[in-house]
Amino acid sequence: MLFLQLLLQGIQTGALYALTAAGFALIFGATRIFHFAHGTAFTIAGYVFLACWRIDQPVLGALAAIAAAVLFGLGMERFVYRPIQRHEGSFFTVFVAAFGVAVVVQNLVGMIAGRGFASVDTSLSMAEEVLPEIFLAPIFWVAISVAVVLFAALSAFLTRTHAGVALRALAQNPDLLRAYGLSSNRLSMLAFAVGSAMVAPAAILTAMTTGLNEAVGHHVMLISMAATIVGGVGSLRGAALAGLMLGVAESVALQFVDTQWAEGVSFLVLFAFIIFRPSGIFGVAQTR
Amino acid sequence: MTGPQIARRALLGTALAAPIIRPSFAQGSDPYIIGTLFPMSGPNAEYGSLFTNGAALAIEHAAADNMLRRPMRIQAEDTQALPQQGVIGMTKLINVDKAHYVLVGFTSVSKAVAPVADRGKTVTVNGGAVGPDLAGLSPYFWNVIPLAHLETQAFIPFLMQRNLKRIALVYVDDPLGDAILGLLRTELPKAGGTLAGTFSIPRTAQQFGPVAARIRQARPDAVYIASFGAQQAQIIKGLRDNGIRTPLVGYSALSIPTVTAMPEAEGVIFTSQKFDYTGGSEITRRFAADFKAKYGSEPGAYNANYYNAVRLFALLAKELEAENATVDGENLRRTLLRVREFDLVGGKGRFDDQGNMSADIQVNEIRGGRVVPIA
Repeated sequence: MLFLQLLLQGIQTGALYALTAAGFALIFGATRIFHFAHGTAFTIAGYVFLACWRIDQPVLGALAAIAAAVLFGLGMERFVYRPIQRHEGSFFTVFVAAFGVAVVVQNLVGMIAGRGFASVDTSLSMAEEVLPEIFLAPIFWVAISVAVVLFAALSAFLTRTHAGVALRALAQNPDLLRAYGLSSNRLSMLAFAVGSAMVAPAAILTAMTTGLNEAVGHHVMLISMAATIVGGVGSLRGAALAGLMLGVAESVALQFVDTQWAEGVSFLVLFAFIIFRPSGIFGVAQTR
Repeated sequence: MTGPQIARRALLGTALAAPIIRPSFAQGSDPYIIGTLFPMSGPNAEYGSLFTNGAALAIEHAAADNMLRRPMRIQAEDTQALPQQGVIGMTKLINVDKAHYVLVGFTSVSKAVAPVADRGKTVTVNGGAVGPDLAGLSPYFWNVIPLAHLETQAFIPFLMQRNLKRIALVYVDDPLGDAILGLLRTELPKAGGTLAGTFSIPRTAQQFGPVAARIRQARPDAVYIASFGAQQAQIIKGLRDNGIRTPLVGYSALSIPTVTAMPEAEGVIFTSQKFDYTGGSEITRRFAADFKAKYGSEPGAYNANYYNAVRLFALLAKELEAENATVDGENLRRTLLRVREFDLVGGKGRFDDQGNMSADIQVNEIRGGRVVPIA
């Protein structure tokens, strides 16, 4: 029964990892920008929802959280990454700029919202014994449903709309895209908007389950990066599947190893992929 | 050369010359530098604010009472509760800022900076960490908080009395967690209890649902939480949300406002230093009243400990000023060992040869968002 309990908890965690990882993968895949501040969008969305929840406005909070994450993503693209790319645009410069923004926002959140732990107090996260030794909270079903609906919507957007197809084209050949008269800048902004919006539901659900602190973004970022590599760089479904897999691995590992190693197992999976399948689950092997 | 260029150069020159010019007019009124090595950012930043508030109030009181000829000034270094950052900060405080006295918290940071304090003969005082091996780290490393072994000594009989004999321990993988594991492993069996399970967690862990599943398998009477900062709040929420209904217990780190305010923390039992803010000494009552007036909340043990740490410096420095002796580490230590007993918040503070202050321990329960002493 312990295995089943750990598996269910892993699926819940993995669904949230999948949402954040997919957002990061979408941005990175389409723009090739290493958006380290993706975790910061998560933090902002979580705290905006928390603020609205405290004034009994959960629906407004959810919308405000999505809007805040999107605005942050667009702001990063327009005012940080684009100016850098106009000049040298090296990976290192982009990374340091994003890291700097993440640190500044982390401190601002601490100053405004208070330092320390904060969570949404809801009965949705309270688990009940549904089978002998199996505890499940209503939020389990919410997390699974939200993830499934969002991935279905994202797939439809990327395959059935002009903007979505153009985003995929941006990832594959930006020069050809420009030759067809499409604006890579606008598509880049679209990638940041959609990718950042993906973290908001995960941030809201995290605020209800494990809670938030101003430094929570770093953990989110680590998982997103690991999932992107394991899933195959540039592959959205790969990142989502890898996020789910990492969440399940982190949880189910406790059946076999000490609790100390839960997070370590995620990174063992990452190392295994780097060594044995560097292109990831859905990545395409490239010859040099 | 244009006007703005001249102005820019003049400004640059002044800025460069500032460090050289400053001593010529600052002699005689240079403040005593009280260095702080607290986490001011990251998941443990809440402690940094709590520690600093207590220290800042002590400085205000010392200034209002004209205790010293020179003012005191806080020079803060952010450790993020990490040993590496602590050593960097401590080195800067000693070599660059010439700190007269340093305040530190967190077991791992304290252990990391103690050798630096020893080499620099700079008195470093801990008011927040409780790892039992913090006693005797250096002649210049003092503790104004009772260490974990004193807390567990007082707590284990209480747990046995409540028939909480099978204890599961969730402990953070750092010197503090390891120390509490060692204490419970040796002390529980002596009192008739058992360690039903031990669950080590990394400092960065945030998911506690799976840990709760493992704890349920151990069927404990109570779960002892040996962590700190945002993580201990996450542990409480994670365990309660995932079906752990047995009492949650722990040590003084649970006294922070974010924990006491959590609905999930209702009924959590923990030990801390004993303070009587209403019926205590004049110093205690003044501290409690002024703290509430300044910060709008009741003071906690950490506020009082760092108030005491700074007050201790003021009392020692006052003695040295009366002797016309230099206020440095060696003289501060000499005076501490000569005087031994000081009027501090909570009553008389008595120090042993290693610079550890003894204090009574009380058992508290979180009820309705407040910390209520129960034993």
